[in-house]
Amino acid sequence: MSPSGTIEPTEVVAKARAGDAEAWGQLYHDYAPAIFRFCRRALPSREDAEDATMEVFMKLRGKLVQYDESRSFSAWLYKIAANHCWDTLRRRKVRQDKETGDLDTVPLEHPDASQLEKLIEQRTSEEVRKALAKVGARARMALVMRYYSDMSYDEIADELGVRRAFVGVVLLRARHELRQALESRAALATGGAQ
Amino acid sequence: MSEANDTRTLQSSEHLDEITCLMYIERQLERVRAAEVSAHTQECTQCRTLLRALERESRLLTRALFEEDEPLPARLAEFQERARRSMQWIWGVVVGLAATGVYALYSTYVVPGQTELEKAGFGGTNLLGLLIFQGAFWKGWQSVVTLLEVLALLTMAGFAMMIFRRRSRRGYVLAMLVATLLGGVLLPGTAGATEFRKGEASERVASDEVIHGDLFITGSRVQMDGTVEGDVFVFAQSADINGHVKGDVIAFVQSTRISGTVDGNVRGFTDSLFISGSVARNVLAFAGTINLDSSSKIGGSVTAFTNSPALDGEIGKDVLMFAKDISLDGKVHGSIRAKAGDLHIGPKAEVDGHINFEGDKDPSVPSQAKLAYPVEFKRWVHDSENSPRHYVWQGIWSAALILFGLVLFLLLPDFALQSVDNSERYGASFGLGILVLFGVPIAALIACVTVVGLFVGISALFLWYAGLYAAQVVVGGLVGQWVLGRTRELWPLIGRMVVGLILLRLCTAVPVVGGWVKFAIVIWGLGAISLSIYRRFAPVVTPPSGASTPAPYAPPPLPPNTTVGGIQPA
Repeated sequence: MSPSGTIEPTEVVAKARAGDAEAWGQLYHDYAPAIFRFCRRALPSREDAEDATMEVFMKLRGKLVQYDESRSFSAWLYKIAANHCWDTLRRRKVRQDKETGDLDTVPLEHPDASQLEKLIEQRTSEEVRKALAKVGARARMALVMRYYSDMSYDEIADELGVRRAFVGVVLLRARHELRQALESRAALATGGAQ
Repeated sequence: MSEANDTRTLQSSEHLDEITCLMYIERQLERVRAAEVSAHTQECTQCRTLLRALERESRLLTRALFEEDEPLPARLAEFQERARRSMQWIWGVVVGLAATGVYALYSTYVVPGQTELEKAGFGGTNLLGLLIFQGAFWKGWQSVVTLLEVLALLTMAGFAMMIFRRRSRRGYVLAMLVATLLGGVLLPGTAGATEFRKGEASERVASDEVIHGDLFITGSRVQMDGTVEGDVFVFAQSADINGHVKGDVIAFVQSTRISGTVDGNVRGFTDSLFISGSVARNVLAFAGTINLDSSSKIGGSVTAFTNSPALDGEIGKDVLMFAKDISLDGKVHGSIRAKAGDLHIGPKAEVDGHINFEGDKDPSVPSQAKLAYPVEFKRWVHDSENSPRHYVWQGIWSAALILFGLVLFLLLPDFALQSVDNSERYGASFGLGILVLFGVPIAALIACVTVVGLFVGISALFLWYAGLYAAQVVVGGLVGQWVLGRTRELWPLIGRMVVGLILLRLCTAVPVVGGWVKFAIVIWGLGAISLSIYRRFAPVVTPPSGASTPAPYAPPPLPPNTTVGGIQPA
């Protein structure tokens, strides 16, 4: 994420904490694209993502003093972004998924592996992104936290307010939703072509 | 759920359920369970295909999420520039405020002061110039060299601290800095033949003794009847300088009497200073009472911050004095500039230059006094607390304080937040506040008495004075949070600070009680600020080796699709 390479931006963060405007600009320059992409995937619209990115960096400014230098800065920043996006979605009273209610009743079915493999092979990244926009907020949030920012199960559980043991189920349900969205897009495309 | 799955024993005839497969590729299964799954997938083609499909799904997801399908919006790209510009705006405000302040000081104090001083024959110097170059601090170019050495040491120490700050414990660096400074201060002394004398009750330098260098002398009662070729530093309850000092006399003494001869300057931090001998150069004193006997002769100027001075001797140059009541019945060959409650001029007084006096009462001037010019008197004006002008000024001061707080919060947001947080540690804040409120000016004034510490002392006094206002801002921030609720955001905090400051100004405007409230607020806020400064420089305890090394930066990774035990592609 940082164009400067593979080193944590410890010096830049320290300077930004001390009020150095240049260092702050450097942090923004290095991390804004990644945070925008995170917000873009997690939130429904581009405008939402732009607003959220700015707000995340405004929050970062206030919270920088709390940053523990022994932790990864990028991971910490993603946590702030995830927290902000999930708060935004909750404030809008999005439809709450029912994971916590029926997590125990999720059937341990064995899907048709060949069919699943075929579905995945045929889909492009763009189609996945479009399908992602169709899935529920919680499912989308879980997928982005896990497969974009590599957050741990503990962190995801903390953000979504579910027990850690159910994070796997949340992710599996999210994948199911995504597959359904992909299949319906494919069906539409096939219908349109006929 | 995964834990539940972990407890089940896998039968070779059963297929793996999807959640188990997902937990397996996400490395969330326990080792035993993961080994079972790995073994099962070696035999079961269907489950292996499912695992592979889930892995591919993970990769597809990560790729889709990571692809840069759209550039950073222009609004966000400009945000950085706007943030930079906003900082420029802040700097603009700061520079503007500073320039206004400098102009106000210059036009209000320096220009009229300079004009008056020129009229009084001080040769066009300003107050600082008078203090440093015509006053008792000035020791010639040798002092400039020493001063440059000290400044160079300070700069070097500053650089060293910057370099080592990230690598060393801050306490150690601070200790190094202090040691370097002390070394720098003591080095010129050790080069000469400095003599140290310490007596429990009394210490005396006999009249036939000659000390070829500086003399540091301490004791309950000190008597110096001999000759010292360098400077004399006295720390005592009472000191009598009856001999001959070829350098300066620097006295930290309750009661100082100088009846001998001093070829240099006298600098005193003392309760009472009595001079009946001669001082070839200047006298600078912070003293309760100063008495220049009619037999005394001062070759240079007299600068004093005192309660009641009696100037009956002969002074070669100018007098600058801040006092309660001044009594003058001697000769002054220069001019006098004085701020005091009262000025009594005696019949034997002779003044060659101008007398500029600001005070409460008209000066008493007998007809026998020989004054080259009439006394220029300016009466102090005390605003009535009920006059509209008083309230207008209160409003202006409140607005200025809010502006000061705004700049402070924008320039140092983390520090401001930390200080507001610290102000909730009431005991520590009040304790430290009392210490800083009284300790810093005393330490700064002591530092000012020596040439080396002059700039350090003056800087410390300026910072301390600014701290008195910053303290109100910090407490304002806390009071605002009490009223409007807590926040960690900068602008909401600034809003709360403004509300809090207005409330505090209202409280401090109450007659009688208001003064005490303000006193408490200043102590409280100063303590909170000092606590924040202390925490910034406090030694940082190094965490255990495992945690101390920051994790190497890695971009968001590829999906966690490498499975435990290795998955065999079909």
